[in-house]
Amino acid sequence: MSEFFTETIVISILAAMVRIGAPLILAAIGELIAERAGVINLGVEGMMLMGCFLGFFVTFETGSILAGIGAAMVGAMLMSLIMAFMAITLRLEQFVTGLALNLLASGLTLFWFRSLLKTIGSTQPNIDLLEKAPIPFLSDIPYLGIIVFSHNWLVYLAILSVPICSFFLYKTKYGLELRCLGENPRAIDMKGLSVAKRQYLAVLFGGMMAGLAGAFISVGSSIRFVPEMTAGRGWLAIVIVIAGNWQPKWILVAALVFAFLEAFQMHVQAVGINFPYQILLALPYVVAVIALMHRRARSRAPASLGVAYSRSS
Amino acid sequence: MLEQLQIKNLTKRFGTVIANDRVTFDVRRGEIHCLFGENGAGKSTLAECIYGTYRPESGAICFNGELVEFNSPRDAIQLGIGMIHQHFVLVPPLTVLENIIVGTEDAKVLLNTQKAENKFKELCARYELKLNSHAAIWDLSVGEQQWVEILKALYLDVKFLILDEPTAVLTPEESDKLFRILNVMKRQGISIVLITHKLKEVMQSDRVTVMRKGKIVNTVDTKSTTREQLTHMMISSEIAVQGLKKQINSESTVVQIKKLDVRGPRGGYAVKDLNLTLNSHEIVGIAGVAGNGQKELFETLVGIQSPESGEVWLDTEDITHWSPAEILAAGVGHIPQDRYREGLIGQLSIVDNLLLGMHRSPRFAQRGFLDQERVRAFVQEQVDQFEIVAPSIDTVVGNLSGGNAQKVVLARELFQASVVLLANQPTRGLDISIADYVHRQLLEKRKEGYAILLASEELDELIKLSDRIVVMFKGQIAGEFDAENPDLEQIGLLMAGGNL
Amino acid sequence: MNWAKIRLERRDEVTWAWRLFCFLVAILGTLLVTGILISTAGKEPIEAFKELFIGAFVGIDSIVETLVRATPLILTGLAAVVAFRAKIWSIGQEGQLVLGAIAAYWASIVFEGLPRIIVLSGVICLGFVGGALLGVFCGWLKARYRVDEIISTVMFNYAIFYLLTYLLSGPWQPPGDFYVQSAPVIEKALLPNLLQDTRLHGGLFIAIVVAIIVYILIKRTALGYEIRAFGSNPIASSFKGIKPTRMLVVVMLISGGIAGLAGTSELLGVHGRLNTDIAAGAGYTGIIVALIGGLTPLGTVIAAVLFGAMVNGGFMMQVITGVPKSMVFAMQAITLLFFLCSTLMSQYRIKRVTEDV
Repeated sequence: MSEFFTETIVISILAAMVRIGAPLILAAIGELIAERAGVINLGVEGMMLMGCFLGFFVTFETGSILAGIGAAMVGAMLMSLIMAFMAITLRLEQFVTGLALNLLASGLTLFWFRSLLKTIGSTQPNIDLLEKAPIPFLSDIPYLGIIVFSHNWLVYLAILSVPICSFFLYKTKYGLELRCLGENPRAIDMKGLSVAKRQYLAVLFGGMMAGLAGAFISVGSSIRFVPEMTAGRGWLAIVIVIAGNWQPKWILVAALVFAFLEAFQMHVQAVGINFPYQILLALPYVVAVIALMHRRARSRAPASLGVAYSRSS
Repeated sequence: MLEQLQIKNLTKRFGTVIANDRVTFDVRRGEIHCLFGENGAGKSTLAECIYGTYRPESGAICFNGELVEFNSPRDAIQLGIGMIHQHFVLVPPLTVLENIIVGTEDAKVLLNTQKAENKFKELCARYELKLNSHAAIWDLSVGEQQWVEILKALYLDVKFLILDEPTAVLTPEESDKLFRILNVMKRQGISIVLITHKLKEVMQSDRVTVMRKGKIVNTVDTKSTTREQLTHMMISSEIAVQGLKKQINSESTVVQIKKLDVRGPRGGYAVKDLNLTLNSHEIVGIAGVAGNGQKELFETLVGIQSPESGEVWLDTEDITHWSPAEILAAGVGHIPQDRYREGLIGQLSIVDNLLLGMHRSPRFAQRGFLDQERVRAFVQEQVDQFEIVAPSIDTVVGNLSGGNAQKVVLARELFQASVVLLANQPTRGLDISIADYVHRQLLEKRKEGYAILLASEELDELIKLSDRIVVMFKGQIAGEFDAENPDLEQIGLLMAGGNL
Repeated sequence: MNWAKIRLERRDEVTWAWRLFCFLVAILGTLLVTGILISTAGKEPIEAFKELFIGAFVGIDSIVETLVRATPLILTGLAAVVAFRAKIWSIGQEGQLVLGAIAAYWASIVFEGLPRIIVLSGVICLGFVGGALLGVFCGWLKARYRVDEIISTVMFNYAIFYLLTYLLSGPWQPPGDFYVQSAPVIEKALLPNLLQDTRLHGGLFIAIVVAIIVYILIKRTALGYEIRAFGSNPIASSFKGIKPTRMLVVVMLISGGIAGLAGTSELLGVHGRLNTDIAAGAGYTGIIVALIGGLTPLGTVIAAVLFGAMVNGGFMMQVITGVPKSMVFAMQAITLLFFLCSTLMSQYRIKRVTEDV
């Protein structure tokens, strides 16, 4: 076991942690914004999966990774538009809508995968991986250079999204309105501002980020697409928001913790240690449940989360 | 022009309920004008129409001489109208400054906190308010929270401010401070409409308009009227004296409440040091505006809430911490204040609703299986007896009229209760004939020996039914009266906090 | 832009005719959208639907296969019905199914030497227990720690699956075997056949029995009453002695157990051994089935047969027309969405309002 924790391996694990954490961060930040507006979007998993597939498919057909990522975001946003319409305008049960969207994404992506990409055969379609883009100078820093500064640009985007989100929430006018929205939508309404408009925009943003996260899983870290490739990461994003107590910096920490578990598991498997790796595979999910058991005394969940707002209520 | 706001023949309906009935009302520039009346009189609705939250069905609103039509508060805010609601519209985790500046035209993108701080400091100085702009709302006292609400309006250079029951949750010192602030505002030329049911505040205004049941009773100069006259205007002038109630001698003490302290939702005490006895063959009426602790008292008696200290005794048993199921089994019935939220299951049928609470009793359930025939026979009996109007006993309760829905609650509770009945606003929102029906049922049970606790905002109802009347104000019993010859003026005064 | 100027008003009267109309609109919409989807894949929709129907219903073999496919869906659907009626949003039927199958397999090993009756009852009971344990655990987590049941159940779906793969590539993998699966279940533990020389197995019988039990439970027992009351208005229910904690634990026990029976049925009636395909999405599909079935036992059975027909027919459809059978999964989800909209349409009227609402 002690041979496992060599310097190279530790650095490799940490670098993988950052890379694996990127889609989790993206999806969680998107979900954070939606939840801060008071809408709990349970369809993140489905939106991520849609983004994952569309990213792969469009990249495969057009050869352009950028087009693929764009398509992923648009596709996921369309799904979130449906979610927004049903939850905000129609004020339907948010649980059922989210679940239905997940199942829709599962069904559609599987069907399109089988029918549009000739997969019945021996060769699997694949694409070129998004290139790594080490940042000059910074990537030469010992240790940190490899861990943080030698990834593809989607990873940098994910990392940057945290301070940007923080800045948005705490230093801008719209961020302030958003923070009020989830806690007490009436406060926003009584100031004469449109609650519905802000909620729509927040949910659409969440969808876009979920799509981006999904695209990363296919285009940004793998050369092929596998059905159900997202493997519950969308659900983990929801847990990460809760575990991070709805604050960007803690969400980053929570995401990295889950990513670390997966990175660790990957390396254990690769190195070939005789250990039931399934336990490690299951670990993130179990940890998620344990994390939820220990909710802080003062949970910063938006007070009005999941409640459809109506002026006459 | 003298009148800043003029309202002519304004009518606002909610479904079949007429909340404001051809209201004609005006407010002069720079005056403090009180809207006075009991709960349900229509004061808040009128205010929300002025603020743009609701659109009236008919009538005209003129502000500064011009006809206006508001689609949302945004329109009213832009004309300089502000409103401070009874339930604060603040965001507890955020700071004072953030609550004030959110949504204002202060910055394009970035928050310009420096400018806001300066304006904040200046306003605080002018109105003699001491507030830390960076304190979080949930760390402030209720009084301080209200100052934040006021500052929100002042920050937007409000010219016309409506306050809805502002002192409902304040201590006397905080109320005094509020009035000092209002007077400073008045000197600045801001017109103030103060909605209240408290006489002490009314007497500090320039003019007062009394409302009752959606209509305007009168508008008078405060200096030329008295407390007694105002109370008279507020309460219904015809008190039906009726011989329905016969004198009965109570035989025993059934319920004893000793030194009860119950915490309220906002952390303070909803019920404080309350002592009360209920005897058999007796109806004890609780007079008082809703929100003075009646709900918490009833919930404690039913077992939903646990008191912080004190005791509740039923006969010889200490039921202070009993569960709802145990209290139900002991023969205590409860007609809740909010019939749809707490008393009925709107999506289920009359049958299912009447069964609630008895679904495991041996009468209807054997070894876990419900005897549907017995249940239905019982329900049909109750529906006939109580004359519940419905297409069938399988009709969903949500589709019944308010009166019939209440009859379902009544039928169930009267059947399940055997010693005590707790009735909290049992005739709220019901029309006369159904209310009368409820009254007769209660008197019937009184004759049978039940101990009944009745909370109501309608004094006539209490006088008609009660043997004794207690007044509840801010969680305490302010006074007790014999219902035979009640001193109405005194009761009204106590209800309005008059002795404080 | 009018973001919120729509209000939904409950219709006073919902006539049978109107409900039927909405239902037909939903079916039509599903066929239309699915047809478009098939065309985009370059195939003929009408051909595809025809073969789908033939494959599902034409001939004894087809009908039998449809019923075999429907069996797990009936059970997972019923599991969802019980939970959702109490407004407990458990989506863990998939994991509970797998754990039930694992428990049943383990039982078949443990009871090996005993007479057939005991073995059969033992495996069925333990299959129920396996699913029930997982259900109760999640219910308890909610009652004691306020852990959202949606998240806990879905997390365990993934975790239990990994437990399964661990068992099948480790302790329960026959030595020297290459495939990730267990040894065949002993003959004695297998569910008897209902129709000779066909795949129709005792699991269908179990499913129907459970459907009847659930029906009786909801309609005729005090517990079923409590579930309905609690699900519709937990506040009023608590005033009358129905405790939320008890509801959470009892409902999740029943729901989990029924899903566990689905796993048992698949193990002992269809696969005959434990493998990673044991669930194949039946848990999630069961949720759709329950929702479309209006959260009633009868509706669930009908919807399950329908969905089973879709899956079965999909094979024929793929063989003859080349449309991938995974189209069926897309179709199932589309059916759900249309169904949700049509339920909305049948119960509510859409009104535009002038003021912000």
